[in-house]
Amino acid sequence: MKLSGLDISASALTAQRFRMDVIASNIANAETTRARLVDGRWVPYRRKMVVMEPKTSSFSEMLRSELNGSKATRAPGVKVTRVVEDPTEFKRVYNPEHPDADEDGYVLMPNVDIVKEMVDFLSATRSYEANVTALNATKAMFMKALEIGK
Amino acid sequence: MMDLLEGGTLALLRRSLDAASLRERVIANNIANVDTPRFKRSEVQFEQVLRQYLQRTEKGTSRTVMARTHPKHMDAGGAGAEIPTAVVKVDHSTAMNNNLNNVDIDYEMALMAENQLYYYTLIQQVNHEIRSLRTAIGGRV
Repeated sequence: MKLSGLDISASALTAQRFRMDVIASNIANAETTRARLVDGRWVPYRRKMVVMEPKTSSFSEMLRSELNGSKATRAPGVKVTRVVEDPTEFKRVYNPEHPDADEDGYVLMPNVDIVKEMVDFLSATRSYEANVTALNATKAMFMKALEIGK
Repeated sequence: MMDLLEGGTLALLRRSLDAASLRERVIANNIANVDTPRFKRSEVQFEQVLRQYLQRTEKGTSRTVMARTHPKHMDAGGAGAEIPTAVVKVDHSTAMNNNLNNVDIDYEMALMAENQLYYYTLIQQVNHEIRSLRTAIGGRV
């Protein structure tokens, strides 16, 4: 039995939750100056972003749907394909007491903008809620279908 | 005998239920991809083709139907001699956001609520049909 309306919404819930996790990581590391050691020098944390794509169906699924005579459709849903780093410049902050300060007293800070992250987080939360609503609607429809013939 | 459950209103209702559940999946997919760049929303077209089919059959032009044993066989006995199935169309005409996505979340949620009510109505209709049949079979009121 395939109740495929549910796994569409479920894939989106997974994707949005992952997006929230990445945003949480960005906020948590907003002050992290020692994320990676490159050539003996500490490099600050880079802001991360998720890349979402519609789910594409595998070759065997497409072949099967062609043989069944139905049109080959994209297997619905969404998935996170990559996590990319934001290439913008690091912030330079004057703080000579900082252990990672350079000769002029400047420290490279992560390119995380807390306000931007909060807005992104709200957007992800709202999308998550919309998908929960969609999931509940689909479930209610399946439950109603069980009442046929009663 | 088999026409009891295969023909007439129940067949129409079954196709409509198929269309409604397909629409549910398509809307769920639109909502799932609300944050996907370059995604274009899809929609299900059914009511219009069904209306055309009903007008055709009312005129009695397509009563003789040749059997199809494979879905890729052509319709014989007038185009669309069978009850039509729903089709999924991708809407490429609009772009709403900077990322070329054209999903309007409010519109999709409204469509989903409407579709749910439509589905419930159809289920009620099916139940009513079955109750009528049951009354007829039992031979009492």
